[in-house]
Amino acid sequence: VTRPLPAAREAFVLPALFLTVAGAGGLRIAPAGGGMSFVPPPLITLVLAVLLLGVMARAGLLIPTGLVGDHRTGLENASGAVVLLALFAASAQLFTCLTPDAGILRLVFNLFFLFLLWNTLAAQPDRTRLLRSLVVVFGWAYVVRYVALAALADPEAGWTRRLLTVLLEGAAVSGEPTAPLAGYIAFATLALYMIGLVLLPRPAPSEVVAVVAARAPDIVDAS
Amino acid sequence: MGAVREALVRVAGLVFAAAYAAFIVSVYARQPRTVQQLAGGVAASVGAYRVDPVNFQEGLRFFRNEQFLEARAAFERADPARQDPSTQFYIVDRAIARAPGGRLVVADPTLQMHTTDELRAELQRGLVRELSDLNPMKVLEERK
Repeated sequence: VTRPLPAAREAFVLPALFLTVAGAGGLRIAPAGGGMSFVPPPLITLVLAVLLLGVMARAGLLIPTGLVGDHRTGLENASGAVVLLALFAASAQLFTCLTPDAGILRLVFNLFFLFLLWNTLAAQPDRTRLLRSLVVVFGWAYVVRYVALAALADPEAGWTRRLLTVLLEGAAVSGEPTAPLAGYIAFATLALYMIGLVLLPRPAPSEVVAVVAARAPDIVDAS
Repeated sequence: MGAVREALVRVAGLVFAAAYAAFIVSVYARQPRTVQQLAGGVAASVGAYRVDPVNFQEGLRFFRNEQFLEARAAFERADPARQDPSTQFYIVDRAIARAPGGRLVVADPTLQMHTTDELRAELQRGLVRELSDLNPMKVLEERK
């Protein structure tokens, strides 16, 4: 059903990428410099991660049978299960990374993710469209969390802060102090996660034709 | 041959993933505050962590001269990752948390306390407010 994945990619590259995201996603650096802490995934991020994996499976971005199944040996299944678990942990911690730590904004971000994933689930996108959609969703969350909110909380942010203050006039939105290094780490974390998603097993060409035929039979007929 | 090689790669990958995941979980459990503590934790987990003996001896010298602020700074330099129970014993009761099983014996003849149990009891006695605290003669009590 899927194109065969090189053993080294499945056994080393994918677990390393997703476990790195899982570890770095919860890293918090104090804005004043120095102190760091590691935040475990809140329960809501576990729910969001389950939903995200469901969306990926529906869109063909994640093909569970390409990682575990009766057609694989025990060792291959163990290797695939590690990839799935690491992907789940990485997804949960990516939401932790992109969500403010407290306040009304945390609720807003979680609702934003919840409704967007729900909407994507209903839209039934294909693999490529889901990848683009995730880049946009996570990219915007990153920009709001690490650029806009950080600028609002930073009195020395200059024109960015003034612009945001004007745009948000009347809205009771306060920024969240963020260490500059945290933004770079979050960017790298997000990039690693997206690279990991691209490296997941792809459907075999015949499977792609079957999916297209099911969803858009007119295209197959025309060819 | 190819199948054997692939099996070896998968076994090595499983070992790597298990070790990496265990490391991440241990980091989240230990909550290091600095990069030095993070690196020291890694070194300690493989038994490669060593305190700086020069700074440790300097800390001991300050401690015995009752220059506690200087001693604390020297002990922090000697054990920046706060992984060595014997060094931490001279700072606060972080030693109790670091010691295996929560028990530690320091064979320093100049101290009147040698175990983490005695240290904890002394710290707790210091936190209790009682009438005898008003006794001015208490300042003359011998330091342990």
